[in-house]
This record gives sequence, structure tokens and C-alpha cells, in this order.
Amino acid sequence: MAVGAGILRVPKEAKKGEIVKVQMVITHPMEPGTRKDPQTGQLIPAYHLTKLEVFFNDKTVSVIDMGGGVSANPFIGLTLKVEESGIVKISYEDNKGGKWEKTAEIKVV
Amino acid sequence: MDRRRFLVLSVLGVASLTFVPGLMRTSLAASKLEEDIQKRLGVSLSQIKESADVKLQAPTIAESGANVPVSVESDIPVEKVDSIWIFVDNNPSPWITDVKLTPMNGKVYFATRIKMGQTSNVRAILKLKDGSYLMATKEVKVTVGGCG
Repeated sequence: MAVGAGILRVPKEAKKGEIVKVQMVITHPMEPGTRKDPQTGQLIPAYHLTKLEVFFNDKTVSVIDMGGGVSANPFIGLTLKVEESGIVKISYEDNKGGKWEKTAEIKVV
Repeated sequence: MDRRRFLVLSVLGVASLTFVPGLMRTSLAASKLEEDIQKRLGVSLSQIKESADVKLQAPTIAESGANVPVSVESDIPVEKVDSIWIFVDNNPSPWITDVKLTPMNGKVYFATRIKMGQTSNVRAILKLKDGSYLMATKEVKVTVGGCG
């Protein structure tokens, strides 16, 4: 998968007031900038996600700051209290200016 | 005379036993971890108290340092919590990530996977809205590092 591609997983349906898990995996090398190429001995430049925001119906749920200490292809799990049907949106960016978005829907039944 | 010398020696002995380990600890730990915590949280590590209210889950032995699953959970109401911070003592840069929570999260929970260069303590620090900090620490043994 291409860098920046993401998978956002939420339950399709939830009861009103239920606390559900929001899980995501993003394809990204997460180079910390401190590693050396074993062949050339040159530092591999930093290339990692810096910020990830989670929204529900355009209201901020969580803001995550991260650096090169998070594993490659980062997995993140959070919780969300669902009071109404709506759209979960994640938007994330890396230190080279890449920006992506991903959405998923939850229905209150 | 002998008795006096004995007394002096014993006082010195006790003093060295109590003070020297303390000195060693501070000089060793005036490390990147403390600098990082001071810089990012604005408090020193010694001011943060350990609490059983913060539940940090991490493997005792990690198969690979490149991918160590870590999760932080707490029964403290999310309304009282500002953010969750994760640090690894012996990493080249100890700060891993921080998460701002809101009441919309419903509860205090965060899971991710982190890199570890070597066997080290993992720390989860909860910043509360009243300005205090709570911490949970767990040692994770790493057989193959994931930082270089």
C-alpha cells in the first residue's frame, strides 16, 4: 500500500451512549531520523507522522502527537462515546507535508 | 580513643550508605528522559507520582523491539483527564507520543505500538485537568532492538 493509506475501523452500529472502539492502521515508514543505512553509513532522513486528529461529526475527539518512536505502519486504538449517528473522520499529516483523511460511519440503533 | 574512632567510622559508613546511592541515581537519571519530561510536561520526573489508577499494559518480554504493543487505560473519569503521554527510558528519544482526550472519548483508553531500542522501562503518564500527573511504569525486556 502507498504511504499514507489508512484503514479506519469502527462498528457499523452502536447503541446510544455506548462507548465503542475506534481503531486505525496507517501505512507509513515512520523513520525516526536517527538510523543509519547499513550499506552507506549515511543517516536515513526522518520521515514520520507528526499529528493525527480524530473527529466525530466535525467535533474534535482526540489529538495525537507522535514522533519516530511509534512503530512503522502505526496502529492506534481509542474509544468514542456515541450519542448520535455520525461520521468518524481521522486526518493525519507527516513531517514532509503529506496530509490524508479517512472517514467511517456509525449508526445509532 | 578506640571507641571514638569506631564511632566516627560508623557514622561515616552509615552516611555513605544512605547518600551515595542517592547521588548515583540522580547523576545517572539526569538523562534524556528527565530532560524530555521537563521540556514537554514542564515538571520534573520526581514530582510525578506512581499510581495504581493508571493501567499500563505491555509485554514482559517483547519479541521484537520494532513493534511493542502498549495500551493505557484508567477508571478515572475522562472529564478529569487532559492527556496521556508515553515515554521509553532508554530510547534515543524517550518521548513517544501524547494524546489529548476529550469527554467525547467516553473513557480513558489509548493503544498503540511503539519501538524500543533495548530493554527499558515504559512509562505512561496521565496529565489531569487539575494540573497533577499520575504515572505507571513497566519494564519490557527486548531481545532484538528496533531503533537501529
